Amino acid sequence: MKIKGLLIKLWAYMGIVIIFMVTVFFFAYIFLEGHSVISREFIFEAPSGMVLGSEGGIFPAITGSLAFTLTAVIIGSVPAVSTALYVVYFCKKSRMTELIHTVVQCFSGIPSIVLGLFSYSLFVRDLNFGRCILSGGIALGIMILPFIEVRAEKTFRELDPAMVRSAYALGCTKTHTIWTIVLPACRGELFSGIILGGCYAMGATAPMIFTGAVAYAGNPTSLFKPAMALPLHLYLLVAQGHTSLDMAYGTAFVMMAVILFSNILVTIYARRRHYTWNQQ
Amino acid sequence: MTFFTMAVLAFVIIFILKEALPVFREVSLIEFIFGNEWMPVEGIGKGTHFGIFNFIAATVYVSFLAMLIAVSVGLGAAVYLSCVASSRARTFIYPFIDLLAGIPSVVYGFIGLNVLVRFFLKTGVHTGSCVLAAAIILSVMLLPYLVSSSSESLLKSRELYLKAGTALGVDKWYTIASVIIPASGKSLLRCMILAIGRAMGETMAVMMVIGNANLFPTLLGKSESIAAVIALEMGTAVNGSTHFHALYAAGLVLIVIMLAINFGVKNLIKKL
Repeated sequence: MKIKGLLIKLWAYMGIVIIFMVTVFFFAYIFLEGHSVISREFIFEAPSGMVLGSEGGIFPAITGSLAFTLTAVIIGSVPAVSTALYVVYFCKKSRMTELIHTVVQCFSGIPSIVLGLFSYSLFVRDLNFGRCILSGGIALGIMILPFIEVRAEKTFRELDPAMVRSAYALGCTKTHTIWTIVLPACRGELFSGIILGGCYAMGATAPMIFTGAVAYAGNPTSLFKPAMALPLHLYLLVAQGHTSLDMAYGTAFVMMAVILFSNILVTIYARRRHYTWNQQ
Repeated sequence: MTFFTMAVLAFVIIFILKEALPVFREVSLIEFIFGNEWMPVEGIGKGTHFGIFNFIAATVYVSFLAMLIAVSVGLGAAVYLSCVASSRARTFIYPFIDLLAGIPSVVYGFIGLNVLVRFFLKTGVHTGSCVLAAAIILSVMLLPYLVSSSSESLLKSRELYLKAGTALGVDKWYTIASVIIPASGKSLLRCMILAIGRAMGETMAVMMVIGNANLFPTLLGKSESIAAVIALEMGTAVNGSTHFHALYAAGLVLIVIMLAINFGVKNLIKKL
């Protein structure tokens, strides 16, 4: 009896320590190996060199990734938030809710590479967009849709029902309540859900390998042109072998820095809101 | 807007189905799934073969192995988070775990290639890329999902039972081991299934460390997962060729496996 408890105790402590170590190791490894590459030229110049990327910088990849992420966030978050609103506030039949949940779950189960296949055949080939930011962005948008939907729905459900009920009691219509009470109150959580979704989209490579990202392109100027993207650039640098390994560390450094920064932002924002809520 | 969302999903599946079906005009379903020769482009007079059995086996093998590793670490951490950590500590640790979830899969693959593959090379595995390396990297990717979802369900049963256990004078850890974990068994199973789905669909990280050779997966041998085949060969497949459709069919098989596991376990849980 004592032993069983002890084993669990050991297991619990080991688990948490391993997770801590792994996370710290990942960030430390990339930051230590990558920081020497980072310079003003690396960030603000286009890649060059005999083997592409062995010299120069990654600026087009950064702007390209931004373009992809923005497109994906716009395409993914609007339907995601509306679906969540519908499920929580408008849907009356529990069977309908269940159906939507099942569909969303299936959605999140679709592997990202298959979304890439879908976007390739529909947008790149059939609608003749060609490889472009829009086709890639749509694939990414579909990918982050369930991610944002689940978070948004959770936020709406956790909102103090007293607030919504008082609004109804004062005679506000449902739409009015949503616009003036629900959405502003949930702004912070929605915002952080969308930021995290954006990070997810930024880091994903599989859906855009053959839908929008290319090995070399200038800064993105139009939605209908292909662009570079950080994760694909990293993958290509790695695939080229040891000549461009330093640059690969640098690219990974930039991506990890963006992830770290947005996560810290989201955490601080969420905590501050939490704090003000508790003070009231 | 909701119906739009629903319609998009139906559309995605119908589209994949439409692109996948032509392959079965040339290759029978049985041959496609259970064949293990994959020769998409006519080689030295051998003709073309489309059999994805090895890829399926590799996908399942890697995912389950990764799951096993992730559960053995993650469940412990979840127990810590739900039953030991104070709520202050929790607000600090959760963002930390989210951070792990935010790392792009390419970076996982990159680190796997530079750390794990090198390590395996030193220990004497040929070229270093192997199924085990892929499983380890994948398990780290699964950890955050597993920990955050399973600690949530453990937290619920802790609130139900821990105080009762303490009131009866039972050791806290013994209560956790013999009451709280079994009580949340069902929802833990559900968390694992969600994580398995993620593991199967993962492309980049696995592709970078698994070695990409059409072989039946063994622990220290190379192999290739379904997602990796699609990502690697889509660029070279001629539009409209059998090869092209075969890749869509492989994607379809991947979806079907995942949905089958998902719904199978859901029904199983209901029956238990």
